Amino acid sequence: MGGSASLIPRDLLGEYQELTFLSKQEILLAYKRFSELLPKEERENACSARVPKSQILTLPELRANPFQHRICHVFSTSETRDDSMSFEDFLDMLSVFSDSATSDVKSHYAFRIFDFDDDGTLDRKDLEQLVNCLTGQGEESRLSRAEMEQLIQNILEESDIDKDGTINLSEFQHVVSRSPDFASSFKIVL
Amino acid sequence: MSYYHNEAFENPDYHFSETLEIDRRGSSQRNPFSHQSPYDSSLHGSYGDHRGREQNYPVAIPMASLGPGSDYQDLPSTSPYGNFTENLSFEPEPELTYSPHSTFHLLDYPYTHGTSSGSEDSFIRRRNRRPPDEIFMTSSSMSETDPVCSEEEDLIGSLASMSTKERIKAIQKMPETMRKKREIRNKVLKEITKKANHRPSCCTQCLQGAAVGYFQRTVLYYGFYTNATISKIENGPSYNMQLAYIFTVGIYFVICFLILLFSMAKFFSRNFINPQELSVNASKLLCTWDFNITNDKAVKLKQKNLCTQIKEGLTEVNKEVLNFSAMERTIRIGVHLIAWVASLGVAVAACAGVYFLSINNLELFMKGYRNDLESQAAMLVLPVVVSLLNTLIPFFFSWLGHLEKFQTPGQHIYVTITRNIMLKMSIVGILCYYWLNIVATSESQCWETLVGQDIYRLVLVDFIFCLLGSFFGEFFGQDIYRLVLVDFIFCLLGSFFGEFLRRIIGTTVCLNLGLPEFDIGRNVLDLIYAQTLTWIGILFSPLLPGIQMIAFFIVFFVKKVSLMRNCQPPRKVWRTSQMMTSFIFLLFCPSFLGVLSVIGVTVWRLKPSEGCGPFRGLPSMYASVAEWIQVLENYTVSKWVVWIYHNLITSELFFFILSSFVLIVTYLYWQIIQGRKTMTKLLRQQINNAGKDKMLLLKKLRVQQRASRSSSALGGRGQQRSSSSYHPSRQPAQEVPDYLERAFDRNQNTSYNEVRWSKCRNVESGA
Repeated sequence: MGGSASLIPRDLLGEYQELTFLSKQEILLAYKRFSELLPKEERENACSARVPKSQILTLPELRANPFQHRICHVFSTSETRDDSMSFEDFLDMLSVFSDSATSDVKSHYAFRIFDFDDDGTLDRKDLEQLVNCLTGQGEESRLSRAEMEQLIQNILEESDIDKDGTINLSEFQHVVSRSPDFASSFKIVL
Repeated sequence: MSYYHNEAFENPDYHFSETLEIDRRGSSQRNPFSHQSPYDSSLHGSYGDHRGREQNYPVAIPMASLGPGSDYQDLPSTSPYGNFTENLSFEPEPELTYSPHSTFHLLDYPYTHGTSSGSEDSFIRRRNRRPPDEIFMTSSSMSETDPVCSEEEDLIGSLASMSTKERIKAIQKMPETMRKKREIRNKVLKEITKKANHRPSCCTQCLQGAAVGYFQRTVLYYGFYTNATISKIENGPSYNMQLAYIFTVGIYFVICFLILLFSMAKFFSRNFINPQELSVNASKLLCTWDFNITNDKAVKLKQKNLCTQIKEGLTEVNKEVLNFSAMERTIRIGVHLIAWVASLGVAVAACAGVYFLSINNLELFMKGYRNDLESQAAMLVLPVVVSLLNTLIPFFFSWLGHLEKFQTPGQHIYVTITRNIMLKMSIVGILCYYWLNIVATSESQCWETLVGQDIYRLVLVDFIFCLLGSFFGEFFGQDIYRLVLVDFIFCLLGSFFGEFLRRIIGTTVCLNLGLPEFDIGRNVLDLIYAQTLTWIGILFSPLLPGIQMIAFFIVFFVKKVSLMRNCQPPRKVWRTSQMMTSFIFLLFCPSFLGVLSVIGVTVWRLKPSEGCGPFRGLPSMYASVAEWIQVLENYTVSKWVVWIYHNLITSELFFFILSSFVLIVTYLYWQIIQGRKTMTKLLRQQINNAGKDKMLLLKKLRVQQRASRSSSALGGRGQQRSSSSYHPSRQPAQEVPDYLERAFDRNQNTSYNEVRWSKCRNVESGA
């Protein structure tokens, strides 16, 4: 840990601490893990390198997650839209998923993660994909057509307040606020 | 030293017969008679010559060849049987060396030693065999010549003690006339039948009888317990067996009662007081995913769980209301009625069968009380039949359930469970009636032990059937059972009619091919049945709960393995927590309460048997407690116990007051529950209304905005509306960067406030 501390300049470290919810230890650990994903020659410039998506997905915390692709997509700021992540994207992600992030932030990002088509609302297709992710892709755990229809109908009945057939951010946040353990389950710690 | 290890060896006779041979033991003792014919009766006198034989038997039975070449090796004069064990497999040929009379001894003797020494011996020439080595026993009265009649008696006695094959061989080898042999044989058979009535003649029979009888005489059964008061030291604290027995059983039941009560209360509260938790909630779904899970298997498991939960919730919500015409309704009611009549009829038939079989059982038992294996096997017929009925009839009931079309799957499940419980409890009821009314008043010696044995057999066979059922049912598929049953039924109904119906049934029954489902209901009912038997049996066979615990352990692990390997999750989704409540309630209501009443009748009304058990001699089992209270009255120290007994336990007024108090409290709590349910409903309604209010206000807001926008577009008032930054509730397609969403929300609120404020101003200005 002491070794990696010297690789992040002190002011950058301070900046990261201010801009994210992460503590110094957590940032340093994140740096260590991030540089391990890079090939050896690029480890010196870890702060400015980009890691391709396939590498990110080898992290044990993300490997088994059904939402892994969405997470990479949401937090990636790559111009080429290849979902590669820089170190700052990585820190962003860890910050949102950390213990100290507020429920607001978490629900906002959860909304973006669940919004599969990136149109700003959760419509029926998004909800269907969400349910499929939650129940798994196996044959025995897929819901039938009728069951899926009914489930989505129920969800929309309960959470779509303005009855426009979609769930927007505020409605989503309203729904999330009713469940007390959302914050503790929307967490990834290295 | 024991010179014979088998009674069959005993043949005092052959020493005295004229054909007896002399033992030529030891080369130094080369008998001058060694060359004589073995049939020479003058050999009699040579008995005394034997030396080195400190055995008790005066006559050494010569096993060695008597031929001239009979070389006895110099045997160490150890136990005569010392060398036998080396060559036990050697089949002794009896007529090897000595008289036919003595042949039967040699049948059992291994020859350990030496080769046939005198092949040139005339005797040996007859059969080329190894000489026997040692002496075989004789009786102690060997040294003299006994009269022939007693010899014959002894011969017959020893013949009778042999097994049939050996006896036949021995008699065949006797050098007697046919008539003589026939006489001997008849006498031997007479002797055998006489003996069989006295004692088990053969060792194996002994062992069997001992084994069965042993179990009867252990602590396993009621009959074993003494009715004495045990005290180790004089005038020390004593252990009153009667009180111990009855109080142990009583306290056990009280503990079971309390455990059942608390379980019921827990499941009841979980199930009925929080019904809304079970429905699929949007919030539950959107927020349930735990991002902490990193293990692949755990992820899959969680996904599966979620799927089951969703499906459960959906089936609960999915109650379709079907409207039937009058005609269809009557048909449906008719079908239901027929199904119920059929199931009741089958249950009654099963009970009648069990009743008559058990009466038969008792007759069989009373007729000949024998401890051999045959009668024991015959006693097993009743438990096997009961277990068969309990295994096969539920399949019939579930098939009936498929025929009737129920409105919801829940109804189907409940009806099937009701029928199964009815069947099982009525069978148990008939058995109890049989035990308490018929066995208890029969002439048998120790009826409690009989009942205990019956229950023990039932439990054991039930356990075996459970394992078998798991093996066949889940390992090989329940379809086999169903198919077999359906086949059987339609064979009975006749081929023409049967073919038609079979085709129809085949499409409904045989749909679920593939992996068998683990039928939770059937398995739980099996457990309840086994537990009922155990509870009934505890009074008659006190160690039964321990045995049942072991059985349950084994069944649990077998079923777990079978479930993991063979079964798919049930297609009908089970509302598990609600089912748990029903099952615990079933365990309590027909099962535990029924057992309590049976035990109550036994303890209070039935007369314990005279000859066995801790309550012998008393008019009823409860009388021991009454006696004890009487004894306690004499001591001032324990007057409070007597007071409690007289005023609380045996007084009816106390129980009346207690019951009414409990009823009142129950009623109060029930009313509280009703009130809470109503309140929950009202609160939900309130939340719905709040949502609708919000919607209404948003609509009004939008209208206002549109109005203001249009008015501002007309270049009306110059009031700056932040309409560009005022987003309607539908978010625009582009993504707003990260933390500006909060700013957006704030904007929304502020613009809303602005609108309201401006409206007020308008109103004011307008007013």
